[in-house]
Amino acid sequence: MKKILIIEDDEKLRTELAIFLNNNGYKAECLECFNNTIEDILRMYPDLILLDINLPGVDGEYICKKIRKESDMGIIIVTSRDNELDELVSINYGADHYITKPFNIHILLAKINSLLRRACNNDTKDKINVKDFILNMSNCTITKDDKTIDLTRNEYKILKYLIENRGKIVSREDMMDCLWESESFIDDNTLSVNITRLRTKLEELGLQDLIETKRGQGYILKGENEDEFKGFYKR
Amino acid sequence: MKMNLKDFIKDKMLLSCLLLFGVLTIEIFLLAYPFGTFIKVYIPVIIILLYITGISIEYFTKKRFYKGLESTLNELDDKYLINEIIKEPNFMEGKILKSTLEQTDKSMLEHVNQYKQKQENYKEYIELWIHEVKIPIAASKLIIENNKNQITKSIDEELTKIEDYTEQALYYARSSTVEKDYYIKKIVLKDVVNESIKRNKNVLIHNRASVHTHDLELEVNTDSKWIVFILNQLIGNSIKYKKQDENLVMELYAKQGKENVVLYMKDNGIGIKQDEAAKVFEKGFTGTNGRLIGKKSTGIGLYLCENLCNKLGIRIELNSVQNEGCEVCLVFPKSSFTDI
Repeated sequence: MKKILIIEDDEKLRTELAIFLNNNGYKAECLECFNNTIEDILRMYPDLILLDINLPGVDGEYICKKIRKESDMGIIIVTSRDNELDELVSINYGADHYITKPFNIHILLAKINSLLRRACNNDTKDKINVKDFILNMSNCTITKDDKTIDLTRNEYKILKYLIENRGKIVSREDMMDCLWESESFIDDNTLSVNITRLRTKLEELGLQDLIETKRGQGYILKGENEDEFKGFYKR
Repeated sequence: MKMNLKDFIKDKMLLSCLLLFGVLTIEIFLLAYPFGTFIKVYIPVIIILLYITGISIEYFTKKRFYKGLESTLNELDDKYLINEIIKEPNFMEGKILKSTLEQTDKSMLEHVNQYKQKQENYKEYIELWIHEVKIPIAASKLIIENNKNQITKSIDEELTKIEDYTEQALYYARSSTVEKDYYIKKIVLKDVVNESIKRNKNVLIHNRASVHTHDLELEVNTDSKWIVFILNQLIGNSIKYKKQDENLVMELYAKQGKENVVLYMKDNGIGIKQDEAAKVFEKGFTGTNGRLIGKKSTGIGLYLCENLCNKLGIRIELNSVQNEGCEVCLVFPKSSFTDI
């Protein structure tokens, strides 16, 4: 599991950030004292640091430069300044990304994900093995027993979201939220239509009961046993 | 106030009367003595002729100066710069005028600078304040992210509103100062449009809106943050003024013109009355809609949008038919001025 070090002086912000990252499969730690920041970072040697540039009494950009000289770890600068010039300077100092507060937490997560995947030199897994079928991420298809069916972009996103939240009931609103985040701005009716179409396609593969409706709550992927989803993509 | 002959003569009236009186006196003396007719006529005529020549020269000199002054004044947009432009006149009143103007200009400049400085200080304070307030907003949003439920989702909506208002305050402060706080670069319209939609996704989904985007792969040169802000205002308006009984439908697309790229934003809301359409960009304009729906409107949103668009060289237009929705166009020029 990848280690992320959070260097941020606002206590609540760093605590919540740590919780969020831990919930998303990372091992997040925080620095609480900023007297020996550079030594501390190098000692803990995380895979990525979230660095607040506006640390009191410390020059964040200097830290960035120093760390980049000594290591290859991912550096994402987090700040409340939104001056474009700061971004350029930071990139020149070796930061990989620059994000301003208040940030969209999903975008931050996406940046972290992409940075760590790249640094690790692991190819992004382009298949998800679920029970007895495979979701192919590269071409949005689903394969079971040698039969492959095409999914539309929305159908693919819905299925992927259900798989990612296996074992949990997913509300329609959450699903809509996820779809809109990936720039499919559909409305409620369209969502229903898409799920119906998805089910029809799944039926062709003999997976007609895969998506179960929980009245008044949402949908869930049938087979709530965690074991059935082994081989799931790991970061 | 223009210089004219009548006024000039009026000013010279006293002098002329005195001269006439003097000439008459001399003439009486001349008539009393046995001078030749030639002298009796020659002397008064010479005196009067010399006098007329003298004031004519004065008239024409002054007339030329004041005419120049008047035409320069008319041509100048920044009329307070007049004293820097006109040449030093060569008659006393002109010199006095110029020197007086110099002093009044200086005093007024100091006075204006005081206000400029005050405004600049205030703007800096607002920027600082907004950066400070962003931190608790970010922390709150994170806490909500880690503790998602119906209640926190509702709070999240309100937090987004706070975010929107602080952003509006920031741009308002920036829009009224002289410096350019923007950073022009090439952006793809699709990116800014999507960013803005995602920013408003909670309230859009909540309102069961459907959003269609197409043909947005076009590039423009502009400040992306300002455009996202403007789009946020426009989307916010569409949501505010949607029809009560119909779901909001929004369409965003772009067209490439010969000299420009136009971004269209259409909605199916309640629209704007014909006679109010021209006034929507005025500061503080709330219109019939703003008061009808009972939604409080600051009247700042569109005013700010137009202001920012002007700074960026973008034309903003609004077309609407009451009850049939609204269409806003942002026209991005393709000129060498903005090309990088």
